[in-house]
Amino acid sequence: MLWLYLHFPHLILDHLRRHHERRQALVVVEGSGQNILQVCPEARTLGVRPGMRLKTATSLAPDLTLVRADPAREARVLEDQALWLYRHVAHIVLCPPAGILMEIGSMLRLYDGLAGVWSTLQRALEERQLTATLATGYTPLAARLLARAHKGECTATREQLTNTLARLSLSAAGFDARTCTRLQRLGLNTLGQVAALPPAELAHRLSPQILAHVQKIQGTRADPQTPWQPPRRFRQQTEFVQDIEQASRLLFPLRRMLTELEAYLCWRQQDTDCLLLKLHHRHREPSRLRIRTSGPEHRAETFLGLIRLRLEQQPLPAPVTQMKLSVKRFLGRATPGGPDLLGDGQDLSEAWHTLVSRLQARLGNRALIRLSPKADHRPEHAWSATEVQRAHRADPALKHHHYPDRPLWLLPEPRPLTETPQAWLAGPERISSGWWEGQRVQRDYYVAQLPDGQLAWVFRGVNSHWFVHGWFG
Amino acid sequence: MNSLAYAELFSLTNFTFLTGASHPHELAEQAAKLGYHALAITDACSVAGIPRAWAALKDSPVKLITGSWFELDDAPPGASAPAFVLLARTRTGYGQLCRLITTGRRRAQKGHYTLHTADLDEHALDDCLCLWLPPTPEAADQDSARACGHWLQQRFTDRFWIGATRTLEPGEAHQLARVRTLAEQLHCPVVALGEVHMHRRERQPLQDVLTAIRHNISLERAGHRLFQNGERYLRPLPVLERLFPSAWLQETVAIARQCTFEPGTLRYEYPPDLVPDGESPAACLQRLTWAGAQQRYPESIPLKVQTLIHKELALIAELQYEHYFLTVYDIVAFARGQGILCQGRGSAANSAVCYCLGITEVNPAQAELLFERFISKDRNEPPDIDVDFEHERREEVIQYIYRRYSRERAALAATVIRYRPRSAVRDVGKALGLDAALVDQLLEHIDWRDQASNWRQQILAKGLTNDPRVADQFFFLVNQLLGFPRHLSQHVGGFVISAGPLAELVPVENAAMADRTVIQWDKDDLESLGLMKVDVLALGMLSAIRKALALIPAPTGQPVRIQDVPRDDPATYAMLQRGDSIGVFQVESRAQISMLPRLKPATFYDLVVQVAIVRPGPIQGDMVHPYLRRRAGLEPVDYPNEAIRQVLGRTLGVPIFQEQVIKLAMVAAGFSAGEADQLRRAMAAWKSHGNLTPFRDKLMKGMLARGQDPEFAERLYQQICGFGGYGFPESHSASFAVLVYVSAWLKCHHPAAFYCALLNSQPMGFYTPSQLVQDARRHQVTVLPPDVNRSHWDHTLEKPDGALRLGLRLIRGLSARGGRALVHQRPPQGYRTVGDLRRRAGLNQRDLELLAGANAMPGFTANRHQAYWQLLDHELSSGLFAGSDGALSAHDAGEAYNAGDAPLPEPSEGQNLMADYRSQGLSLQRHPLALLREQGQLPWCRTAAQLKDLEPGRPVQVAGLVTGRQRPGSASGVTFVTLEDETGNVNVIVWLATARQQRKPLLTARLLQVKGVLEREGEVIHVIAGKLTDLSNLINNLPVSSRDFH
Repeated sequence: MLWLYLHFPHLILDHLRRHHERRQALVVVEGSGQNILQVCPEARTLGVRPGMRLKTATSLAPDLTLVRADPAREARVLEDQALWLYRHVAHIVLCPPAGILMEIGSMLRLYDGLAGVWSTLQRALEERQLTATLATGYTPLAARLLARAHKGECTATREQLTNTLARLSLSAAGFDARTCTRLQRLGLNTLGQVAALPPAELAHRLSPQILAHVQKIQGTRADPQTPWQPPRRFRQQTEFVQDIEQASRLLFPLRRMLTELEAYLCWRQQDTDCLLLKLHHRHREPSRLRIRTSGPEHRAETFLGLIRLRLEQQPLPAPVTQMKLSVKRFLGRATPGGPDLLGDGQDLSEAWHTLVSRLQARLGNRALIRLSPKADHRPEHAWSATEVQRAHRADPALKHHHYPDRPLWLLPEPRPLTETPQAWLAGPERISSGWWEGQRVQRDYYVAQLPDGQLAWVFRGVNSHWFVHGWFG
Repeated sequence: MNSLAYAELFSLTNFTFLTGASHPHELAEQAAKLGYHALAITDACSVAGIPRAWAALKDSPVKLITGSWFELDDAPPGASAPAFVLLARTRTGYGQLCRLITTGRRRAQKGHYTLHTADLDEHALDDCLCLWLPPTPEAADQDSARACGHWLQQRFTDRFWIGATRTLEPGEAHQLARVRTLAEQLHCPVVALGEVHMHRRERQPLQDVLTAIRHNISLERAGHRLFQNGERYLRPLPVLERLFPSAWLQETVAIARQCTFEPGTLRYEYPPDLVPDGESPAACLQRLTWAGAQQRYPESIPLKVQTLIHKELALIAELQYEHYFLTVYDIVAFARGQGILCQGRGSAANSAVCYCLGITEVNPAQAELLFERFISKDRNEPPDIDVDFEHERREEVIQYIYRRYSRERAALAATVIRYRPRSAVRDVGKALGLDAALVDQLLEHIDWRDQASNWRQQILAKGLTNDPRVADQFFFLVNQLLGFPRHLSQHVGGFVISAGPLAELVPVENAAMADRTVIQWDKDDLESLGLMKVDVLALGMLSAIRKALALIPAPTGQPVRIQDVPRDDPATYAMLQRGDSIGVFQVESRAQISMLPRLKPATFYDLVVQVAIVRPGPIQGDMVHPYLRRRAGLEPVDYPNEAIRQVLGRTLGVPIFQEQVIKLAMVAAGFSAGEADQLRRAMAAWKSHGNLTPFRDKLMKGMLARGQDPEFAERLYQQICGFGGYGFPESHSASFAVLVYVSAWLKCHHPAAFYCALLNSQPMGFYTPSQLVQDARRHQVTVLPPDVNRSHWDHTLEKPDGALRLGLRLIRGLSARGGRALVHQRPPQGYRTVGDLRRRAGLNQRDLELLAGANAMPGFTANRHQAYWQLLDHELSSGLFAGSDGALSAHDAGEAYNAGDAPLPEPSEGQNLMADYRSQGLSLQRHPLALLREQGQLPWCRTAAQLKDLEPGRPVQVAGLVTGRQRPGSASGVTFVTLEDETGNVNVIVWLATARQQRKPLLTARLLQVKGVLEREGEVIHVIAGKLTDLSNLINNLPVSSRDFH
């Protein structure tokens, strides 16, 4: 079996950069923020290297943009790559965090030889503006090591591959730091030198694991790989290094994502009639846009047209930091798109969901909202109206059993108090909060009875003016 | 205008960490301004804020009440968990309060407390008043609230009140109704409480930020964790009058009147243990002093010293400080008995009395020092003696103190860890929801050594936020937060020892270190309350000196002692004048090495100056060059008047020491003794929260009025600022100078012993073992590699030629147990095979591998590769041959035979070098630079040794391993790089512009080539860098480390 390995030295950075027209020096830093993990070419020309201390790196490149490492995101992005590779190659193995292994021996005829596979993949990588090193090998491990060491060549000649492998340094050969030290103490510096030791002595004097590792490289020991299965749903996401403020600027990255979706749908011979676009904001709940087509659809242009329309109608509530596109509902191309695909036996939450989506379809997404309390001392911020979702989590900052006396009818805007109250029933309650948002509220609230008998929630502001803020029943 | 009187009985300061939003003194001053009758400081299970509030209220009519706030962890049956304030009524009540706090704090981990209902029964609290805060209706129902009140009332009887607060939050009406009901049910009075968290309402934003930090959440998400408003402040009396019934307000004053405890009455009670029965402390001290004097001056006590002793003893007796000197004497005597070297320093340490008691080695007969200032009659504060002990054995001294006085009576002082710019920026940034990565990135860039205010501009310039509102809030809050206490940590070695139980004087809590306890007050608090502490500090050089002295063959057979070292040895001074001082105490830094040939120390007092001169004070005051010029006779030495001559006479008219600067403020600027003392305190506190600007005007005016040069006055002020936080008084310098001299003498006359001892005392000092070994070899010391058949665990001097044999301790990772076993089990003829070594010493595989890696078996292995291969044959470790008692077994012979078969490459010189560095951090083979030079990799590069013979001003090229990068705060923008080659060190100076253009090689190269210009001043040689080239690829795997920017 011939294997081909793709190693992505800075996948996350490629992923972030390809949505931006302007190129800037980007690096991924580890969670604690002390060390650099990945470096983009721009940062590399400034002298920044993986493994460097952040302090050194920012001294070299003061305008460096930092991205925190996030293993979950890395895994997701890696899987995105498998998704498109799956169109070219059938047998794929994910090698987190940064590699994909493919069995290509069986594909050689299809592509008219190794050179065909090689150039197809390189073209595809280029199109996607991805940096990756390729290498072939007769074992998964050999291909992987060569790719990681940048020693890959478009060759299937055993002898050539064996020679290149033999010249690999110990750490490039995948030995851990402790093993490297032990081998170096014996004066051994390359994989070839280690492999030249008698196998029995190697296992006996060093460790069976080291021998096993060498044998897996050579192919004299089994190294089973778990093939990757494509997921049942489509998901893509884009992160922005700088927040996007204008909706029109979302279209450029959107087109790329929708093109991926189109390719995905074509390849799976499926259509869809519902996309979910989730726009993340820095300091508020994400906006969710559900895009429905009139019938089964797969064309990127159509989706893009619909989304553009929606974005024109509905201005962005806040700058966007991240955008996620997902499709869960697939319609076989042969099946006529019926209006109702729901069968019997749906559970209650499913039924509720159906109700909600039908109401939304009839009334429009924005006509349907849910009210919930929010932990904030300012009355106008103490509740929220959000889009109805299925999962509902309570605000963790909300103090339990702490629902103060509030009128059920809170006016959208306080309005000046024009009559002199007849009676003061409760108060004062003083609220002074929210300075950090530039909307500092400083008020003394009272419950007062107005001459016509109404119970009003009134307050006096900093400038001593009186306002009505709500009505009690 | 209004007759209302009010006492605030419930207030938290910022010593309730991350909760209170005002300093104790701010609360105190505000209470005075508002005309409060009294103010109780009631931090959560703590009295840490008391001394500062007390200092602020000392001369004010507002009475300070000491109390504390408690929330119990459990509840009485059927009741809610009690939460209450306890106030100390008298000194006894204060002791009871401290006891309870100690119990709560000692039981919990550092920074927390845990108290149970049972504790209230087990502790006497009959002299404390209890103000109970009933639970709100949301928290507990009426019955359990009542049960809780009843339970407390049983314990405090008529010393029990119900507290009522008015914070204008929802549900307050219900709570007030409950308070009234409870008061009726329990028949007890109600008292108005402010639940104060800040001195002014304007602190609400900061209080919100503290809450957010405490919950580790941004303000935006903090929600109901924040208070609804800013009403928890010290409210003006008219406001209080509107909020509370007058009876409740009157009750506050009635309670305050009951509390008569005054922190100023806390007097230190000296431990009486040290004076024999029937003898007065004064007589005891006199007896010991004169006996010591006899020993110090066996022939006859010089008249000068006799006079001094009389004078000092009289002063000590007058101030009743005998116990203090006796306490220090006792500790020092213990150390001496154990052979632990120690040395006192500090204002009182360099007295004739301390010399006689053996606390210091600074001989009053020899040194031209002015001792009369050693304790001041005017300053009502205890004398200050710090004692340094060998760093490896200080723990023995600490344990002795605990044994001598018991843990009940001895504890370490606290150090209050406060917000510094970096932590304040980080925490406020987090609370305001700024991106943590961005804030970290900004922080990385900021040069904190810049002037104090400058970092703000730096942050703005970096574009923290483009929202001006956020920027304003950010800086406003960071500025407020600066200097806020964050937690209590342990002082480096300040012990407080008391006569009675310490926990009745001040609460004791746990430190982070196991088995360590600290009191709740720090050094400044102790000083302001007039309590005594003894500093027990650790000093690496003392360990090294003791070890070196022990290695010197003494002609008399007696071990050589510090006092046996001959004084004023010309060879020693000549060595120092050449700048040959690597390893010598205090004068081994690069700056000191280049200062030595300029200052040319020739007497003991010159060393005192030498130690003090390369420091921020004299440098910022631009006093170094005038002093050097005067010393070199290039500038006349003159004094404006006799008074100034008195102060500056011994330093050629140039102020060098902190004492001189303070004295000068008195004689040249007309400061009173009190003002000078304030200046001294301000300098000491400058680092944390001080402000020296008020003194500037006074200093300038005073000096100009007395006809001084304004330029000199300004420099003096700059020097004062330089001393701030790094004050270096003459008394410390003198103590250090003794160790400088002794270590220099050792280096000069017994280099092998000196380096051996330094290496055995690592880690300490400025240089790595590799640098020390190279320096030793340049001083004709033969250094031999570690060898399982010759080395001991420590480094040793071999007989008969005195060569320095490196010890096994140098091998990185080798276990001390294994190393010691190897030495202990070593047969007389030495180990013969790897198997022999394994069996006899019982070494584990890891230790054996490390020994092979160190090439420490030259006696029976061909090279390190083969040695390693042999011991990888695990079967040898089976116990089968354990009984064969060293006889060469058949198996051993076979082993040797097998080794020949291993297909392993012979190590090259380069490989050996790498392996040596990896294993020991140094190599005795040729220096890597020598190898590279031989290979022709460094064409045109001069060695450090060659530079000495070159003309200054000419272009040169050098290359070396980067062993240090420094950017001193006092030199603007210049970076000093130290390069090491096979002949020594090259000092490279990189100017700011050069550094900016070539950041990359400057910051990352491990092997650096520098093209530049040679500069020479006397014997001091520098290369001014032009082009920098990174040659690190030539030494790819060589593990060399550089000391960067410390």
